[in-house]
Amino acid sequence: MAWSRYIGGRLLTLVLTVLVGSVVVFLVMKAAPGDPAVAALGENARPELVAAFRARHNLDVPWAQQYGRWLADAVRGDFGRSLTVASDRAIAGLIAARLPNTLFIGLMALAIAVALSLIAGTVAALRRGKLADTVATSMAAVGISMPDFWLSYVLILVFALGLGWFPSYGFIAPSQTLSGALYSGFLPALAVAAPLAAVFARTLRTALLETGGRDYVVAARSFGFHPAYVFLHWIFRNALIPYITIIGLQVRYILGGVVVIERIFGIAGIGSLMVDGAFARDYPVVQACAVVFLVIVLSVNLFVDAVCSWLDPKRTR
Amino acid sequence: MATLWRALWSNHTARAGVIIVALFLGAISAGGMLMPYSAVDMDFVNLLAPPSLPHPFGTDSFGRDVLTRVLLGSRVSLAISITGVALAAIIGVPAGLSASWYGGAVDQLLMRFADLLFAFPSFVLALFLMVVLGFGITNVILAIALVYVPIFARLSRNLALMVREEAYVQAARLMGQSTARILGREILPNIMAPILVQASISVAFGVIIEAGLSFLGLGVQPPTPSLGVIMADGREYFNQGPWVLTLAGLFISFGLLGLNLLGDGLRDLTDPKLRERSGS
Repeated sequence: MAWSRYIGGRLLTLVLTVLVGSVVVFLVMKAAPGDPAVAALGENARPELVAAFRARHNLDVPWAQQYGRWLADAVRGDFGRSLTVASDRAIAGLIAARLPNTLFIGLMALAIAVALSLIAGTVAALRRGKLADTVATSMAAVGISMPDFWLSYVLILVFALGLGWFPSYGFIAPSQTLSGALYSGFLPALAVAAPLAAVFARTLRTALLETGGRDYVVAARSFGFHPAYVFLHWIFRNALIPYITIIGLQVRYILGGVVVIERIFGIAGIGSLMVDGAFARDYPVVQACAVVFLVIVLSVNLFVDAVCSWLDPKRTR
Repeated sequence: MATLWRALWSNHTARAGVIIVALFLGAISAGGMLMPYSAVDMDFVNLLAPPSLPHPFGTDSFGRDVLTRVLLGSRVSLAISITGVALAAIIGVPAGLSASWYGGAVDQLLMRFADLLFAFPSFVLALFLMVVLGFGITNVILAIALVYVPIFARLSRNLALMVREEAYVQAARLMGQSTARILGREILPNIMAPILVQASISVAFGVIIEAGLSFLGLGVQPPTPSLGVIMADGREYFNQGPWVLTLAGLFISFGLLGLNLLGDGLRDLTDPKLRERSGS
């Protein structure tokens, strides 16, 4: 009961944050220099064309009314039409076509990072101070220090141009073939995953070492339970809470990384859409992408909090 | 100061960080003078020459020495990142301190706003700002500042909440000192260490943000050599001359490794409890 009330409250906060966030995004976009109509039609466009363009894109009414219309449409899943990038196509359609690719790469990166960090973090904690720990911890420090877009090129150099195992450019959408998407998405996902795996592994190592010293673990050991059982049942389960929390916090980072990686590997996702929009000064596209990113991050955070508060009921208070 | 230095030196991680950062800073401050080339000298005999003794990082498509450009570019990138992070700290720390001191509506308003900024992926936030402000060095600095303001605000608020009930703060209050003086002279010095740790890690990530924005062509504009600009150049002819992008990136990673190790070491020395809270 406490749990569902807690989640309900959080859900309400999420909706409010998205609303306020969309107002801020909207106002900041309005403050940007330049007239979108001029940007799209050119300096010498005929006045009646400009007027028609402004009317079509809701630019001919006061700001508050523009936002009101935008919000009313957005709630129904209509983000308006692109000004320049994909001239006049519905932005919602563009996002719907591209979002699955971004989510696919993001989830794949997450899966790789979780797999790598579970192994590295656990080994480092179990072999604390030994060679394996030093290797894992140093690799984590190196992993955090590599810009992901640079790592992409190193991976391309080694695994695509050098060994020829993976394609260096292009992405097969998961809607076409799943195996193709897994194969062509592997290098980009790995580039996003490597620094993340480093952050996760570190957190897991610290959490395992911290829980390993708690009273209940010492008590369990003194009862003579098998060390493997003590590890899985008492130490690992409790260390999962900080581990899952950090995963949730890093979702922002995954999405930020995907923005650049998509451009490098030629993946048609919403990150590359936002960058294209940024270049072409396509304000409604950038605005819609920013709001979509906001919704994704907040939803994931809510999901993570829901899982954590379920693992540890004290949190709901 | 001497004790801090001794503590830093006795911590393996911090020592490795200090050495790497010293080498990195030494290289970028002296490097430009030691190199016989300038960042814009073109040599049309040596176009895209692979790494060799006279050109350890090779040359680019204009025959410019890549190492010279990287050394000067690192200076530009680091200066941008440090300015951005400093600006974020100058805005974020006082905001966080006031939030902790006044509490109530001020606290709620400032922290909800920080949460909002925090909910955008940092690169998306930076990208968004570049669209509104336009490209160029100043705007990259502002974008980095915008990314880090909420982090500094939240960190300093939480730290200040931990010390505000301490005896020395109470004493200062009873003596009737002004709020500004209590915040600046009593609270700030006592929460400075974790803020510096955050700053050192933020500078490392700030360099990545600059490099990323400029790499996409949205940040620093050529011919100014920043690390991102050099890597964006290298991308154009990656198949013919992969060394430009690869070695430039390797050089950044080396510098960032130093900053991160230094940050980690400092964190171990200051407060182990803060480990999870002040992440990237």
